[in-house]
Amino acid sequence: MSHLATAQPAMPHPDLDPLSAPPFPKAALPILRNPQLRHNVAHAIDVIQAKRAKLVTEKADWQELRSAASAIRAQALENLGAYLEEFETRCTAAGGTVHWAADAAEARQTILDLLRQENASEVIKIKTMTSAEIQLNPFLEAAGVSVFETDLAEIILQLGDDEPSHIVVPALHVNRSQVREIFARRMGLKDLSDDPHALTAAARTYLRQKFLNIPTAIGGANFLVAETGSVAVVESEGNGRMCLTLPRTMITLAGIEKVLPRFQDLEVMLQVLARSATGERMNPYTSLWTGVTPGDGPQRFHVVLLDNGRSSILSRTKERQTLKCIRCAACMNACPVYRQTGGHAYGSVYPGPIGAILTPQLMQMHHAQSLPFASSLCGACYEVCPVKINIPEVLLELRAQVVNQERHQFARLLDPMYLGMKIANLLFQKAWRFHLAQRLGRIGARLFTQRDGWIHSLPSIGAKWTQTRDLRALSSQTFHEWWAARKGEAK
Amino acid sequence: MRASLFITCYNDTLFPETGRAVVSLLERLGVSLDFHPKQTCCGQMHANTGFRGEAFSQAKRLVRLYQEAETVVIPSSSCVAMIRDQYPGLFEELGNESLRREFAALLPRVYELSEFLIDRLGVEDVGATFPHRVTYHASCHGVRALHLGDRPYRLLRKVRSLTQMPLPNVDRCCGFGGTFSVKNAEVSSAMLAVKLEDIVATGAEYCTALDNSCLMHLGGAMHRQYVGMKTIHLAEILASTEASPAEATV
Amino acid sequence: MSATVSTPGSTPGPASGQSRKRILDRVRSATHGSGHGFAEPADAYAALPRTYVRRGTLTAEARLALMIERLREYDAEVIECTPANLVASIAAQLTASGKHTFAAPEGLNSDWLVPGFDWKADHRLTTAEIEQAEGVVTACFCGVADSGTIVLHHSPAEGRRVLTLLPDWYLCILRASQVVETLPEYFDRCTQPPVLVTWISGPSATADIEMTRIKGVHGPRFLHVILVRDEI
Repeated sequence: MSHLATAQPAMPHPDLDPLSAPPFPKAALPILRNPQLRHNVAHAIDVIQAKRAKLVTEKADWQELRSAASAIRAQALENLGAYLEEFETRCTAAGGTVHWAADAAEARQTILDLLRQENASEVIKIKTMTSAEIQLNPFLEAAGVSVFETDLAEIILQLGDDEPSHIVVPALHVNRSQVREIFARRMGLKDLSDDPHALTAAARTYLRQKFLNIPTAIGGANFLVAETGSVAVVESEGNGRMCLTLPRTMITLAGIEKVLPRFQDLEVMLQVLARSATGERMNPYTSLWTGVTPGDGPQRFHVVLLDNGRSSILSRTKERQTLKCIRCAACMNACPVYRQTGGHAYGSVYPGPIGAILTPQLMQMHHAQSLPFASSLCGACYEVCPVKINIPEVLLELRAQVVNQERHQFARLLDPMYLGMKIANLLFQKAWRFHLAQRLGRIGARLFTQRDGWIHSLPSIGAKWTQTRDLRALSSQTFHEWWAARKGEAK
Repeated sequence: MRASLFITCYNDTLFPETGRAVVSLLERLGVSLDFHPKQTCCGQMHANTGFRGEAFSQAKRLVRLYQEAETVVIPSSSCVAMIRDQYPGLFEELGNESLRREFAALLPRVYELSEFLIDRLGVEDVGATFPHRVTYHASCHGVRALHLGDRPYRLLRKVRSLTQMPLPNVDRCCGFGGTFSVKNAEVSSAMLAVKLEDIVATGAEYCTALDNSCLMHLGGAMHRQYVGMKTIHLAEILASTEASPAEATV
Repeated sequence: MSATVSTPGSTPGPASGQSRKRILDRVRSATHGSGHGFAEPADAYAALPRTYVRRGTLTAEARLALMIERLREYDAEVIECTPANLVASIAAQLTASGKHTFAAPEGLNSDWLVPGFDWKADHRLTTAEIEQAEGVVTACFCGVADSGTIVLHHSPAEGRRVLTLLPDWYLCILRASQVVETLPEYFDRCTQPPVLVTWISGPSATADIEMTRIKGVHGPRFLHVILVRDEI
């Protein structure tokens, strides 16, 4: 079978490191020119969106669940210090060991040290975006540890030398024929078909021996329960359960914001998470464990609690809500921008609307400043968010911070956007200035107006508009001129 | 009934026919309209681009200007959303107590056009005639910020000879987003292409909305691509009668 | 840190201790004064809005019908039986499966180990032995009708977590009296928070390739449920 027919022009390897990734508008260009990738993304999120919409409609108390989920998360954050300590005490009492990592480097080193104590040269992993955030895999590989991702999507990416483009369905930009090509090449399966059943079976076989033989696992946490010191992992395939039961040692990496006050809070969270994430009433498997249970599962259990910028987000009242996020990805599925660009354009493991607010904040606003502007502010993300994060509000706050950073820079002096905004503000302060500008603009626009009464091409920043849209010529009479003339006639 | 018209800066400059239609519509319904000549902009463009101080001074200006108004009518859903959703935060952060009080007093008197017609005047049938196929683009601000719901459809249903053409994915953004359309011009254009496809597929002659900013975006692409469809603000449809049809149709 | 177990590497390093203080200090100063007027976090917690549905409204029959419907939507096979013919029903399910070797938790009712099959009771079975079982039979703690979820607390009759994971075929015995309508009602049944929980909603599945739902990636591909109509 030839797969040349489906081959795409080589895409640049996506750079998801906010320190080096190109700004959003630039990173989006190669994707916008890739019809296959855009088709894959649109298809996948249209399917999830439709399923989610159906299940949310069926749930009569959806808005009440959202309110409760939002309030529980907010309360957990407001008392985070106390809940983290309670979690640590309970988890430790149950036989777990809690480590604290202030930043990515410390978390990576802590995990590597633990692996060295285990003499682990191989490790199996449950999908965790937090590990992608701290770029754990390349670090461990460079230190001589072979890392095996076990989530089907993560295997596709790992074997295909690709990067995640979505936080729940990380390989949604890859279609079945591309998966077939990757698996055939990397697993040595020449006769593999592109039937998803066959591809899934190939992954099952590929991983079975790894699950049975590799005694060390790394995973993330959907929730930490302060009251009990328990950890919960939400998944579909059973790879999580494999990693949580077969190995000797389990290492959980979790952001400090993942804490819930009590076990019972899961009655809300588990109702909103799967419905929002995959459009299911409940995901196939959710596991909860507490420290170490003799005779059942890993007998050594470590939790690494990661700050990495979270405490500074916590300190800002308007932005704090960012940390309520439960990583369901409903916002990216609903986002019309994400639908066009997919995830790689965001230059971060956290794409979409939540990524547009989370990434620059994790970077302490020193990088990824283009992301708060990567939104038309349509509000679809806020509408679907199960924990009611007002993403547009945070986007606006971050935009203001970026402008405050940049506006006094020398380079912005002649930046048409900054210049235009300053001039526009001067005009809007006095009606006479505004009216004068309208008259001058009407004269100026004549230079660009074609015979059909439309402007087809503008210079400078206006060219960004006219590259795909015309602009109707300015009327010979503004509304206020018409109004004044009418009043005059009436008198 | 007395009402003061905030026409908005871009309608004043680029879409005066919408303003004229609002006047003829509301006067036909017996509203005594007033227009404050010193009005300029609500501050939305600056607020949405991160220029918060500038947005604040424009917002303050608007609140002072309409202090005396009995009712303010605004034929632009995004500007109404700016006032309702962003002014409170701006005034909380940058304003003083007296400004906050003035704003609190003004806010309940601010209406988007379809809200004014249905909630305030209690009319659905405004006596309009518009013998064309029309599809309604529910702008993001209309749907998710103002929750206009079925108001626009109820108004359209009562227009004589008008055929409504339902728009699939009606709540999906057209990609305008103010300065987003130039800062992220390519992504904005990709969103626009998808939206336009849905709109053109309705087979309508006109695409209408309660926000000329979306319509400027959609209309600009329609003209560029010769799709043979026009945009028209809902006010112009509602103002249209057999005796004096909408300007866009003649 | 004195409460940690004495396994190698179970004490966090000194760097972790410094970071612990740094992080907690930063967190405390970040949230200082955000208690919304509540003196204690517990008071604020108690005041959280919980206006969502906490109790079902269906009749007992409708609740069971919903449980069955939702399980079947996940492609689970469900049969009903009376307590008197449970053993016969188990036998019928096992026979129909065409499989022969079955794992069972050590605390499973011995009547359920119907003769004619090769039973591997979990008296410290090795992973390889569990892997060799073609199927597994267990009891469960609860069923949640709203989402078609089976909840295991891994009691002796429910088995270790791995037992219901490796075999490709899983038969779960669910009593009608264990079925609640809504998820909050399950939480109400937990008098103490459990130490281990597995919530199972249908067979293992993935939709990672073009959103096409595929049954059975790593967990059991076949989920069978016998709903025993005991006293409700």
